[in-house]
Amino acid sequence: MRGPRAGRWLLAAPMALLALATVYPLVFTGNVALKSRNDYIRDRFSPARSPHWDNFATAWTNADMARYFVNSLVVVTASVALLLLIGSMAGYALSQLNFRGSRVLFLGCLAALFVPFQVIMVPLARMLVESGLMDTYPGLVLAYVAQFLPFTVFLMTSYYTGVPGELVDAARIDGNTLYGVYRRIMLPMGRPALLSVGILDTLFCWNDVLIALLVMQSPEHRTLMTGVTSLRGQYSDNIPAFASGVLIAALPVLLIYLFFQRQITAGITAGATKG
Amino acid sequence: MALGDSPPAPGAAGAGRGGGAEPARRARRVPAPPRFGTGRNADRLAPYVLVAPAVLVLVLLRLVPLFLGVNFSFTGDGDRDGAAVGFDNYTELLRDPVFRTALKNVGLLVLLLPVAVAIPGLLATFIYLRVPGHRLFRSVYFFPAVLSPVIIGAIFNLLLAFDGPLNSALEVAGVGPVDWLGDPDIAMFTVVGVHVWATFGMALVVFLAGFATLDGTLLDAARVDGASLAQVIRHVIVPGLSRTIQFVFVTTMIGMLTSMFGLLYVMTGGGPEGSTYLPEYYIWIQQGRMNRPALASAASTVLFLIMLVVGLAQIALLRRTGRED
Repeated sequence: MRGPRAGRWLLAAPMALLALATVYPLVFTGNVALKSRNDYIRDRFSPARSPHWDNFATAWTNADMARYFVNSLVVVTASVALLLLIGSMAGYALSQLNFRGSRVLFLGCLAALFVPFQVIMVPLARMLVESGLMDTYPGLVLAYVAQFLPFTVFLMTSYYTGVPGELVDAARIDGNTLYGVYRRIMLPMGRPALLSVGILDTLFCWNDVLIALLVMQSPEHRTLMTGVTSLRGQYSDNIPAFASGVLIAALPVLLIYLFFQRQITAGITAGATKG
Repeated sequence: MALGDSPPAPGAAGAGRGGGAEPARRARRVPAPPRFGTGRNADRLAPYVLVAPAVLVLVLLRLVPLFLGVNFSFTGDGDRDGAAVGFDNYTELLRDPVFRTALKNVGLLVLLLPVAVAIPGLLATFIYLRVPGHRLFRSVYFFPAVLSPVIIGAIFNLLLAFDGPLNSALEVAGVGPVDWLGDPDIAMFTVVGVHVWATFGMALVVFLAGFATLDGTLLDAARVDGASLAQVIRHVIVPGLSRTIQFVFVTTMIGMLTSMFGLLYVMTGGGPEGSTYLPEYYIWIQQGRMNRPALASAASTVLFLIMLVVGLAQIALLRRTGRED
């Protein structure tokens, strides 16, 4: 199937078209973001003549995006840090220490992967209200940790299963407790997995809108993605500013993709092939 | 296949061969505590201390709400808050035309599922067969998958507006304007199309990981025998990747049922005429807008059951076809 050459080029043409269709919407949005309002109304497709960078400034300041950006940053950082800590501890115990209930716990994690947030969201909201955590940062962080922990534990467990037992034994003979093994062996050895899982968790939390809408109700607590949803109403007559706002919100993710594409796909495929 | 790609690569259980799902069973025992037994009592507790936070989170924030939710769905809203109402919420759901539309749309998703799986499957096959430019295609196709549905929805709102660029492009081609998001007969297909556009790269990557476990000699043998591309796909690739295909079917369905909220919220808000409702959107509206948490819980329970049925049915189906080969 590796030949004939002509046949392969024949396939490449539609695939190149599809690739174009994949990037075009973003290119279009980028171009619109650089146009003036009149320029956009006159012709949507032509390349922006003189780039209007001020659209970005307008969106950033007028739409309160700076505040949303900081909110997202705080919540995502805290959530991912907690996820990695709790997930790596559990992953170590589940993969290397055979204790009573470890199998049940691992299977429980697997099952939890298939229970979507929408199924638990109503009672969770009520629990948050009753505990005074509704509309607070800790409340949103807890909701994120709850949502993405099964995935994190699952991947960390799969990864730590591959750490050779001899290493752990050697560390034990050197007088380490099991906590010492976690700190001195498992954390450093787990770095590639922690990076992969951490980036995926970051994307999940950063991109989420459902959980943020549910937990954060006052406007000043909005995350960036919730903020984007209200941009449209705000800039219905200023499409270039709207496009700029959307791009600002997408920028962190685009950067993460550029730098960590390998880790992202590695995390996803590890999840798939271990399942 | 290992996360990242440095040394402690796990036994790399391939999707094609299965296994590897239960690390705990393969794990070694805790080194026996020293016989002369001073000290290390703390170590006997260590595993439990290490998993305690995870267990706490999973039980309190996943398991308890699941039970509370099911319980909740048998109680009333508003005046009847907390009172047992039997199956009232469920009968109300079935009578609600909006929820019926949501269920009908689930049916539509199930019908479209094979397409949503076949597209990334075929593309992965071509990339695996090293179509010119396959490296580039691979990273370009994947890239929308990292964007938030909110961002994607916002971008497509621009592109698909009635007086938007897609329609003006169609006009040039002589095709009348299409009301992509305003026509109740079209809007759901539009949203699903955007969802597939945004997520096919994810499935593509999973397929490619599956291909990595495929036995290359089989492909070579097929080529020597002069098999066509279609024959190779049918007789070598599909049977060889049955576990990967099964995985993609299940995850794609889960994705369609549970991660279109952002798109619906930004692009249609359930409209026009309630035609783009899905159970997940219905739950959110009843909980957040209508103040009907008990009714929302009933819808949640229905969604949970749908997921269970769809998942089990697909696994059963694929098992059977797998055996026939």
